[in-house]
Amino acid sequence: MDNFNDLENVKAYLLERLKSASSFDDISKVKSEFLGKKGFLGKLTSDIAKVPAERRKEYGIRLNLLKKDIEDQISTYEKKFEKDLSKLEYSDFYRSLPGKKPSVGHLNIITQAIEEIVEVFAPLGFNRVRYPELDREYFVFDALNMPENHPARDEWETFFIDCPRDEKLGRLVITPHTSSGQVREMLKGNLPIRMLNISRCGRRQIDISHVPSFYQFEGLVVDENVSTANLIGVLDYFAKKFFGPDRKTRLRPYHFRFTEPSFEVDIDCGICHGKGCKLCKKGWLELGGSGMVHPSVLKAGGIDPEKYTGFAFGWGVERTFMMKSGTKIDDIRYLFSNDLRFLEQF
Amino acid sequence: MNVPIPYSWLKDYIKTNASTEEVAEALSLHSFNVEDIKKIDNDDIFEVEVTPNRGDALSILGVARELKAVLPIRGFKCEWVQKEKTDIEKINAVDKIEVVIEDKTLVPRFSAIVMDNVKFGESPKLIKERLEKVGIRPLGNVIDVTNYMMMDKGQPMHVFDYEKIVGGKMIVRESKEGEVITTLDGVTRKLPAGVIVIEDGGGRLIDLCGIMGAKNSEVDENTKKILLFVQVYDPVRIRKASMVLGHRTEAALRFEKGIDYEGVIPALWESVKMIKKLTGAVVSSELIDIVNFSRNPKEINVDVEKINKIAGREIEPEKIFSYLSALGFEKSKDKDNFVVVPSWRYDDIKIPEDIAEEVIRLYGYYNLPAKLLEGQIPVVETNKIFYWEKTARYFLKYNGFFECYTYSATTKDKAGEGALKITNPLNEEMTYLKTSLLPQLLDVLDKNQSYSDKIKVFEIASVYLRSGINEEDKIPSQPVNLGIVTHGVDYLDLKGTIESLFEIMGLNSSDVSGSFSYEIRDFGNENLGVEINFESLAKMANKLKSYTPLTNFNSIKEDLTFEVPDNVLYPQIEKTIRETDERIFKLSFKDVFKNYLTFSIEYLDKEKQISSEDTQEIRKKIFEELEKIGVRLKVL
Repeated sequence: MDNFNDLENVKAYLLERLKSASSFDDISKVKSEFLGKKGFLGKLTSDIAKVPAERRKEYGIRLNLLKKDIEDQISTYEKKFEKDLSKLEYSDFYRSLPGKKPSVGHLNIITQAIEEIVEVFAPLGFNRVRYPELDREYFVFDALNMPENHPARDEWETFFIDCPRDEKLGRLVITPHTSSGQVREMLKGNLPIRMLNISRCGRRQIDISHVPSFYQFEGLVVDENVSTANLIGVLDYFAKKFFGPDRKTRLRPYHFRFTEPSFEVDIDCGICHGKGCKLCKKGWLELGGSGMVHPSVLKAGGIDPEKYTGFAFGWGVERTFMMKSGTKIDDIRYLFSNDLRFLEQF
Repeated sequence: MNVPIPYSWLKDYIKTNASTEEVAEALSLHSFNVEDIKKIDNDDIFEVEVTPNRGDALSILGVARELKAVLPIRGFKCEWVQKEKTDIEKINAVDKIEVVIEDKTLVPRFSAIVMDNVKFGESPKLIKERLEKVGIRPLGNVIDVTNYMMMDKGQPMHVFDYEKIVGGKMIVRESKEGEVITTLDGVTRKLPAGVIVIEDGGGRLIDLCGIMGAKNSEVDENTKKILLFVQVYDPVRIRKASMVLGHRTEAALRFEKGIDYEGVIPALWESVKMIKKLTGAVVSSELIDIVNFSRNPKEINVDVEKINKIAGREIEPEKIFSYLSALGFEKSKDKDNFVVVPSWRYDDIKIPEDIAEEVIRLYGYYNLPAKLLEGQIPVVETNKIFYWEKTARYFLKYNGFFECYTYSATTKDKAGEGALKITNPLNEEMTYLKTSLLPQLLDVLDKNQSYSDKIKVFEIASVYLRSGINEEDKIPSQPVNLGIVTHGVDYLDLKGTIESLFEIMGLNSSDVSGSFSYEIRDFGNENLGVEINFESLAKMANKLKSYTPLTNFNSIKEDLTFEVPDNVLYPQIEKTIRETDERIFKLSFKDVFKNYLTFSIEYLDKEKQISSEDTQEIRKKIFEELEKIGVRLKVL
């Protein structure tokens, strides 16, 4: 009978042990004590030899039930302590500490601005290109309907490079605008054109709103039946995507030699929307120039102006980005200062 | 060019019910931007930004003409105030002037008249006030009249003291190199060749034409007789001279933008009338009016279809012609749908597109609809460098690098050997175009020393190489480079960053080493730098990754440490091990300590499960091969 008593005792002992356990670890110890290779259950199984033959069957059944019982009990307690599994290594204090960040740097906001601009125009089918920063006067001026000695050339504050003048193409200059890419793009010979040229330019000026190196983005569309209304459509789309869905643009008359008609593009003030307020005075802020491509420019690009029309706009990347509310940058020179305390804010 | 336009002065020409702000808005939306409105003594002064093609509008008259066309479109009344006609009196011509024009292209129209009995003195209050409002200092009645007329009509003019013109003779000619003239401002100027000047009968230069008169013939309090002088000069010569001499006067700025040929004589007579009224002078010579040009009226086609195509909206022909008529374009008498360009717009309006601009701006750009593009989207291949630039930028950013943008130009030292020079630099710091990104990036480290012990910066930008001027374009090679500079970063960490970037770009070391090399340079003081021709790199880069079939067999991994003699370099060891057996699946550098080099090796047989006997055999071969170059397993 002793053997049968042992079965009962083992169960009572198990419950006692489980009740006194205080962690998942304790349960694991209990588990191996009872179910492990040299545990109680193993011993009871080998004890079967000592049981009288006629009761061995009953003993076996009882043993199996006990085993199942033990497993259930242990599993219940395991679940109870499962949450503590993690507590073992990570204390509440440890979890309250700030995380260790991987070392992450910063992209200059010029890059961020360019990316945003590209993203706005890409769905409209504008293909990004880049044209040389140093180019000949022909592409910068002559091809754009600004012949030699024309006063319009003055406005561009151009840097000239000490390099032999070419008889046909003129002097080497730092392109003062991205429009020098217009005729280059046309000469590729692919029509229609939807170009987005983002390139570095240079002008002889430096103050809080000008730097001698800067980026411009230039849109050029050439196709049959392109109108001023299309230009307004595209600029409005840009304004809404880039500045906000409630913004709108307007065109005012202006003059550029390479567009006819020429426009200046305004965007309504984000605060008063064109009514005029303390911040903007007139309700509108100047974005930049644009126009319908001049027939002479189309001709220079090998395109028939009777069949094709086009529009173009070219603005400063930095300036446009700074006009976006929220950046609060009051001096464009910061963008080229490479002060890490400035860069880390973006 | 900005011109100040007092509202009170405009009222000499137009009568309107529009307020100051309404006038400014009408001008801004249809003609010229009004940049500012200043208040002086109860008057509003419009600061009008006249575009360079519109020399005709650099005056009160010019702006008034625009307003007459534009205000009615905005719903305001605008009447033209008729000025009393200037009667041309009978002249008692006693004084003469002999004019010699050596080259007719110098002065398309030359007009002058002599007036006697001039009493030099102050101008009346109204004239002085008006001049001051537009920023001109009153200098005495006859001089003030010339300045007043320049602002009023846009026609610059000059008065000489007639008696200071030796022999009453004027020779209009081009200057010879080195000739000298002292202008009214007291400055003695040495002239280049080709400047338009006037020489008198005594061989003296008495006028720097279109720019400023000469001191030797100026009007003063003793002046009795004046020569009133109203011209049209060759705009190109005036511009060149004024630029070369660095003397950009109000007169020169107007002459170089073109003068209304037909406005010359009316302006002259109006000045005569004013001078008579102010000084009591009388005309004492015939009117000299030498016309050296012949211009037929210019007629341009009003292509309604083209106008509508450019606008993107239909504008009725009646409207089109009414806008044009308001701007002074009259219908051609003999050609249907043609208009005659008014004399003051003669140089500006050339082609039907110019007419379209006039029409559409009066219609109002703000009245046009917004339409997105309708045509087909062009199918073109995008330059893949943009993708790789973006990839590189983000890779570097997420590895702790800061992105810099430096100026294209720098000092001679930093720009590097053979750098291109700017002929008109802003300052010495920006005179040469950089041939390398590194010197300016090293400056960034210097400048940010105190930021952190470890600094990592980069820039992706062009450098400019004189050597690379290509034959077709005649422009220098301007490759886009990637420059990286670090402070306090371990050499191998930097090298690993670059190798990792190459891997992301689909380039393995053998792709790169064959056609491409880069060098990590040690600039001392824990500063390292590396520069890569990113354009070339991006051309080789490859997004396409092909896969090797996976096996179900397990690999065996182990680390082996070797003792490396002095004259052996890493690539040689790596290559030797790799080539020993094809079952060496992966081999990577793990660590180095003194001359002990540790590799992680992974063995895999794709055909069957590899056994420890197999690896033992491979290992033995590795040792044999390495033995040949003197590399031995480290003995513990």
